[in-house]
Amino acid sequence: MKSMSRTFGLYIGLAAMLGIGLILLLVLGPRWLVTPPEETAAAPATAADARKIRARLFYVDEQGTGLTSVEREVLYGEGTVEQAKRIIEAQLGAAPESLASAIPAGTRLRTVFFTKAGDMYVDLSAELRQNHPGGTTNEILTVYAIVSALTTNLPAITSVQILIDGKEVDSLAGHLDLRRPIEQDLKWITN
Amino acid sequence: MTHRCTRRITYALGLLLVAATALGPPDALLGPATVLLAQGGPITVLSRDGRRTLPAVDVQNHQMVGLDDLATLFQLQVREDAAARAVTASYKNQTIVLTPDQSLVSASGRLVSLPAPLTRRSNRWLVPVEFISRALAPIYDVKLDFRPQSRLLVVGDLRVPRVTAQYDESPSSIRVTFQITPRTTATVTQEQNRLLLHVEADALDASIPPAPSQQGLLTGIRATDPTTIQMDLGQRFNSFRTSPATSSGAASVLTVELLAVPVESTVAPTPPGGVTTPGAPGAPTAPGVATGPVPPTDLPAFGSSRPTIRTIVIDPGHGGDDAGVKGPRGAVEKDVVLAIARRLKGVIEGRLGMRVLLTHQDGKLIGADARASIANNNKADLFISLHANGSPRPTTRGVTIFTLGLDRFGEDARRQSRADRAVLPVFGGGTREISLVEWELAQAAHLDGSNAFAGIIEQRLRATAGLPTVTLQRAPMRNLAGVNMPAVLVELGYLSNPDEEQQMRSADFQNSVALALTEAVSAFRDHLELSPQVAPAP
Repeated sequence: MKSMSRTFGLYIGLAAMLGIGLILLLVLGPRWLVTPPEETAAAPATAADARKIRARLFYVDEQGTGLTSVEREVLYGEGTVEQAKRIIEAQLGAAPESLASAIPAGTRLRTVFFTKAGDMYVDLSAELRQNHPGGTTNEILTVYAIVSALTTNLPAITSVQILIDGKEVDSLAGHLDLRRPIEQDLKWITN
Repeated sequence: MTHRCTRRITYALGLLLVAATALGPPDALLGPATVLLAQGGPITVLSRDGRRTLPAVDVQNHQMVGLDDLATLFQLQVREDAAARAVTASYKNQTIVLTPDQSLVSASGRLVSLPAPLTRRSNRWLVPVEFISRALAPIYDVKLDFRPQSRLLVVGDLRVPRVTAQYDESPSSIRVTFQITPRTTATVTQEQNRLLLHVEADALDASIPPAPSQQGLLTGIRATDPTTIQMDLGQRFNSFRTSPATSSGAASVLTVELLAVPVESTVAPTPPGGVTTPGAPGAPTAPGVATGPVPPTDLPAFGSSRPTIRTIVIDPGHGGDDAGVKGPRGAVEKDVVLAIARRLKGVIEGRLGMRVLLTHQDGKLIGADARASIANNNKADLFISLHANGSPRPTTRGVTIFTLGLDRFGEDARRQSRADRAVLPVFGGGTREISLVEWELAQAAHLDGSNAFAGIIEQRLRATAGLPTVTLQRAPMRNLAGVNMPAVLVELGYLSNPDEEQQMRSADFQNSVALALTEAVSAFRDHLELSPQVAPAP
């Protein structure tokens, strides 16, 4: 009788430890876990064309020292991660007439990762650095065009870290600190 | 732990001080017969009960106050013990024991050294004013803050910030920069022919130099009511603007710019003469006149904790395979900025006699951390990174001065750097404040200095180098993040702009920029040396 209750107690203990372990794994698990798709904040445009949304994209302004936002049609993506991919792909594309793109030609989106803390990791191809013209202003315009496009259209994203070819980078052109996610900074937006 | 360590060091220094006093020529040897008396200015005592005065007299170049006056002010019981040849001053259960003609007193069993002995004169006992902060304050249950410069004794937790002003004149304006220590909110309002600076405090410890009145812009400046400073406006006054108050170390800095009515004919600027504070930041220089070596202000005393600039690290941007921006006519950023860095090094060494190091000399590429290490390991006092800019628009022009902008992570680091501070006494008197901050964001602790330096560079680039477009910006700059001293990154122009590309390659431009930056370094050094700091024990 005594040994049975001891065995029973052992089972209870094991079960409790397993439960605690599971909870710890869920709570303290890697931040890299991609969150399940969420409702995107950018609303679908119209019922007629449910596969597109209107999003604000960012291009070099007339003075060449800031970004101006333009509302454009972007493919609809299910959830924050998919929508973020569609927005970045659109942002990497050609600029509307009279505006200039801040993103070096040939840059491709590899993938994105989203953390529970609201940090979006945007993995871009090596052309981002290879074709970059250099200079602090150019670097600010490139980085904040990407940061602004994501944080403005998807409020779940609070900051953006740029990766190049899947790797974390110190900087893009030697000026901005890209070791940590960058927050939106409205002073670079001129409209 | 820090407290225990600080206390030990304080005791050790105290013992050293006692030994030094015992070995040195004691003033008591001079005897009362040689004492010359002269009336000194009274000390103002500020407390919740109001404002009172404490008479002070000058004895052998020491400011002395009557023990009886102190007894009345602070409810001390003063007794003379003829047998023991001692005078005691008691407050509640604590006693200070003084010995006639001796500079050492015992405050609740702790020996304290005074710069002059207890002296008898006209049946009164006189003690040096330092008695208040060194012997009385430690046993008194209310805070006593004696400020020798302004002859102010603040009793209790009153907010009495120190307010100083500096003037910076140009032909069309006067900038008045108020420094308020400790940081205090202040506002500027206009009332008819005067501007009023209201400081949120109980009283002001104001030290305002006379206004440069010959321009007819600002005819007078003075403290009016206890918390207001009044600026009287002259006939040429047109409008004013204030910069948002910024923090500089323990002080807040507020700049009020008085703008003159525009005049058609160009009036040659009058040299400021003795009116402007000597060596004030951005002290104006007559245009077109080559400035000679800026004479250093008083050399810092040995062991002085007053900040100054002895070593500067100049960081020419990029290098090696990393060319930086390439101009349409072939100029390359790494070469242009290295050439300017070399000129700047020469001018600073020649004119200011400071030690100048370049992060790289031969165009070799080094990483951001290596650049910061060169500055940190050489204990540099200032870090200047030189770059040339690039924009997608070929017409974009102008200089941009960057300082580090902080995100949430950086703000946390900055708060931590302020919270984790320890004030340690240093040998030879005074104190030194040290802070603990993450290596990765060492710059967070120096942002006030960096932003002040950036502002001075902006003025000098406009005034000395004649550059019309100079912008100040803050951004998360990689090369500045780990630098443990005031640091700026200066984009000297746009190589993507063909005109500026040509200009930046010219020797004239490079020389004038080097001269302007040297003047900025000199003005920043003066700013550091003249700024009020943590007051050493009086």
